[in-house]
Amino acid sequence: MNTRSLSFRLIAWYAGLLTLVFLLLGAVMFAAVADDLQSSLRNDQIRRAQQISDTLLRGVSHSVEPVLAQSVETLYAPEANDRFIRITRGDGTVLFQSGEPHDRHFVPDVPPLGQLPVSRSWREVRLSGGGSLVIGTVIHRSANGTRYAVEVGSSTAPIDAALGRLLAVLGTGLPLAVAMAVIGGFLLVRRSLVPMERIARKAEVITQHNLSERLPVERTGDELERLSLSLNHMISRLEEAVQGSKRLVADASHELRTPLTVMRGELESMAADPQVTAATRELLASLLEEVDRLAAVVDGLLALSRLDTGEASAQWVKFDLAELVATTADQMSLLAEDKRISVICDAPQRVLVDGNRAKLKQVVVNLLDNAIKYTPNGGSVRLKVAAQNGQAVLEVADTGMGIPPEALPHVFERFFRVERSRSREQGGAGLGLSIVKSICAAHGAAVELQSTTDQGSRFRIRFPSAAELEQPQLPQGAA
Amino acid sequence: MRILLIEDEKKLSELIARALRAERYAVDVAHEGHAAWQMVETYEYDLLILDLMLPGLDGAEILRRTRRRNPHVPILILTALDATDEKVRNFEAGADDYLTKPFAFAELLVRVKALMRRGPVSRASVVRVADLEIDRLTQQVRRAGRKIELTAKEYALLEYLATNPGRVFSRTMIIEHVWDQSFEGLTNIVDVYVRHLRTKVDDPFAAKLIRTVRGAGYYLGEGAEP
Repeated sequence: MNTRSLSFRLIAWYAGLLTLVFLLLGAVMFAAVADDLQSSLRNDQIRRAQQISDTLLRGVSHSVEPVLAQSVETLYAPEANDRFIRITRGDGTVLFQSGEPHDRHFVPDVPPLGQLPVSRSWREVRLSGGGSLVIGTVIHRSANGTRYAVEVGSSTAPIDAALGRLLAVLGTGLPLAVAMAVIGGFLLVRRSLVPMERIARKAEVITQHNLSERLPVERTGDELERLSLSLNHMISRLEEAVQGSKRLVADASHELRTPLTVMRGELESMAADPQVTAATRELLASLLEEVDRLAAVVDGLLALSRLDTGEASAQWVKFDLAELVATTADQMSLLAEDKRISVICDAPQRVLVDGNRAKLKQVVVNLLDNAIKYTPNGGSVRLKVAAQNGQAVLEVADTGMGIPPEALPHVFERFFRVERSRSREQGGAGLGLSIVKSICAAHGAAVELQSTTDQGSRFRIRFPSAAELEQPQLPQGAA
Repeated sequence: MRILLIEDEKKLSELIARALRAERYAVDVAHEGHAAWQMVETYEYDLLILDLMLPGLDGAEILRRTRRRNPHVPILILTALDATDEKVRNFEAGADDYLTKPFAFAELLVRVKALMRRGPVSRASVVRVADLEIDRLTQQVRRAGRKIELTAKEYALLEYLATNPGRVFSRTMIIEHVWDQSFEGLTNIVDVYVRHLRTKVDDPFAAKLIRTVRGAGYYLGEGAEP
């Protein structure tokens, strides 16, 4: 189970709060009941003691004391009623004490009072035989000035038993209630999150290539309807933006390329005229070269704009990057041979990547062309394709002039050129590396560049998650 | 042979019409979509050259309507859009060929010629230019009876130049045909391969067949250099 999912967290919070509330409620309830039972037990004892004092001790004298004990015994039958009754004279001697109750559930070995308390009071006495008694004491002052203490006590066992039962009920009922609430909550949350799951799944398959699609909106009037509506509005705005930039690319292509075609056609037809002098022909040829260069710049810019609108994110296939690099190196081998540059292609294993094959080939072509262009005669260029930690890694390293450190952060910018020997004579529109970066970005790959002046540069591209590794193929030697 | 050229840019249409007329084609020009569609409905053309971005009826619509009316007339699309999916879409709509601006006029003429004789004309398996012989079936090249060993790319380049001897091929055309789109803008690769091809095909012989036209491209030809 995903512990970070919304439903899990909701339920965990909900269950935690519920448990806390139930615990508090249980504790308060238990305390209230216990207090109520105990205080009523105490009041009971005191009331009875008062009763005895009121009815029996009125007008008592030494002569009637034995009769008194007798009447307490008959009137209150403490042993039969599981009660403890004791009447103590002011000098501490006991006038009457009840015996062990019939059910023998306590032994009334209550310590003697000693000093008589001043007024009515209650106390709880632990018995040696176990259990405790709540004893209420009332002081009676007879007409002749003798003081008597009437004590009436009752066992707390019934209360303890009742409280124990209450605790048992709470102890089993509470977890049961929490469990039921959690299960119910889980089902409810799950039910209300199902449409969310649907929205997420649909949103995941909408890319810049099917922006006309929309998320399902259920007319429930709840937050999820609002969420899917606002997501749909966002997709609409994205669609407009992408459409707008596609239109711009189309319009710019038309407006730039049509005049270039006219210029080129006019120049070509002039150059083809046999009456043109050699000097003019040279001039026309030079103009044609500039037209070509301009056309290349337009091509590059438009290619970049198309990449911005997500061109490289379409038409993905799974293919062997090692094979692509090896064949591309082979196709370009003559370029290197021409400068006596050795191209070493170290791609012995199949390395599968997911992507737009034509665009990734362009990445290889651009990097390899750059490497060959900026490596002096007799140097070497090393291509490497490998799977490392689940990534497909493409490396293009040369022994060229390198890139000065201050230029390193800028080489991927459009039209950026490292000064000095990198004159425009070496061709290119200054867009090659920008295109490489754009294509790689569309594949979720980062381009790293290390370079040391006069020692060479190394471009390294890491593609996420190479799919698998297979048996080594025939190693590709120097191309 | 009658060609309808549908292109709204006046200067460009004049240029193309002039070049085609110089090749002895009869050329009608339409600058606007609705007018163009009327002409397609009225006359029987042997070829349509169609710009996709047009005022009035747009090029894609004319392409669809023409295909419904006449499935056989060859249609060459001119467009400023060079995205691959754009090309695929137009081929699916019934275009026969596709040329991206800015194009070399030489290439336009080559394609027009190819489209016009499509069908009955079979291509000879052996092409001869002066004493150079290219056998397309066995992919063997001989000059003055001597066999010349070429790499696959060198052969492809030579064969492409030999499809139209005397016609200049731009570097971009050559890249598109001999390499692929990924190499676009990498025109120096053409120069390098041409130089290597020359060392094998031309250097051992007195007459040089592979010729350069500066600013335009290369061609295969015999006789005096222009």
